[in-house]
Amino acid sequence: MTHSLHRSGDIESQKRDFCWFMYQTKGINDKDIKPKALEFIAAAEVCGSENWGDVKTGPITRFSVKEIKDNITDKSRLRGVFTSREQIVDFLRIMKEKDTGMSVVATGVLSEVIPACKEAGVTPHSINYSLGVWGKKDNLPDEITLSITTMCGHHMIPPKFVKHVMEQVGKGRMTPEVGALKLANFCYCGIFNHIRCADIIAENIDK
Amino acid sequence: MAVINKEKCTGCKICQTYCTVDAIIYDGDNHKCYIDQNRCTECYVCLRQKVCPREAIESIELDNFYKQFQHVISDPVENHGVTGVTGRGTEEVKTNDVSGRVKKGEVGVCIDMGRPGMGVFLRDASKVAMALADVGVELLPAEHTPLGALMKDLKTGELVEECLDYHLLSVIVEGKCQESQLKDVLVTLQKVEKEIDTVFSLGLILRVDENGQTEAMSCLDELGIPQPYRGKVNVGLGRPLCLD
Repeated sequence: MTHSLHRSGDIESQKRDFCWFMYQTKGINDKDIKPKALEFIAAAEVCGSENWGDVKTGPITRFSVKEIKDNITDKSRLRGVFTSREQIVDFLRIMKEKDTGMSVVATGVLSEVIPACKEAGVTPHSINYSLGVWGKKDNLPDEITLSITTMCGHHMIPPKFVKHVMEQVGKGRMTPEVGALKLANFCYCGIFNHIRCADIIAENIDK
Repeated sequence: MAVINKEKCTGCKICQTYCTVDAIIYDGDNHKCYIDQNRCTECYVCLRQKVCPREAIESIELDNFYKQFQHVISDPVENHGVTGVTGRGTEEVKTNDVSGRVKKGEVGVCIDMGRPGMGVFLRDASKVAMALADVGVELLPAEHTPLGALMKDLKTGELVEECLDYHLLSVIVEGKCQESQLKDVLVTLQKVEKEIDTVFSLGLILRVDENGQTEAMSCLDELGIPQPYRGKVNVGLGRPLCLD
């Protein structure tokens, strides 16, 4: 799943958008992962991960931390999002110290992520590089809509619902922050950056 | 399978706002909505969000293997039975520090078909997989990527005919090649992108040096492909660490 990789939108906005992941490898280190998963959650909370979750339960924008923790199994996949380089540096530094043996992934703009790795003292092993979108692009939704919908890489956010939220915000019926949380609830992983989303809504409601 | 109960539907069209691929159609003659089953991806967003005030959207049994496949791939809440990964997902770079699937000198090719608002028919996935196989990409088997389960032969990439008209929210075509083959693979993708009725996002997985750099991308400039500015970085904390 490359679902955090191919986000779109203004690059400066993407520089405030970092996804983190915890992964177990099938058949190698995928048993009794709960204590390790709890270390990731603790680090995410200390570093102020704005959104995070487990796809098997959902994101913290919709479920309580207790529910997510209680439901952790060996099939769980923890993921989340940060909005600053300092946060991802602190997170990587903590996870290096904890040495859980789980794979850790950080996704974002490379000119931010690579220096963040260096600051945290971790060494990139491999990278999945995004070479952009190919094919029949004429039928895609507009770029503002995509900058929001691509923050759920499973494509669970309906483009028409983005339009609906933008209209509601434009009419003053909800704030950009409330609209962003409504959109975040479609994404079960917890990697939807609702802070960035609120900014995008606020900047574009009249367009 | 998601369906709309005509007895309960009032034709309010609220549900249309919640469809990820515009598969909910309003029938003006009967003042009812219905789901275009050829377009629906069985992502179950409409069901899970409980969007219908009359509870007219219902699920009925997925009656064949391909419908079940369509649902499991399109809905990330579901776990794929073989790969163990949720939804369409594969482990790609995420566990490469442990699995060592993509080694030094190799390139993982990860083609993420569809994009939010634009799904993918499996006939287009078949075209891309066949093009990759033809240029020498070693496609991954079903143990590693769900699409492998639908291939007649990994050597050709061709999908079984019965699945071709199924529409998915997205699906990943995944394989690997040698770095020396990368330019040919990209030229092939530049051709096949003109033959499909959807889009794909291309990811290339590479082992990198301690500074997060690789020389393998130099061929992009020759082909007029912009250098990547986004990446998913495996930071090498998995154990046991694969150094190959």
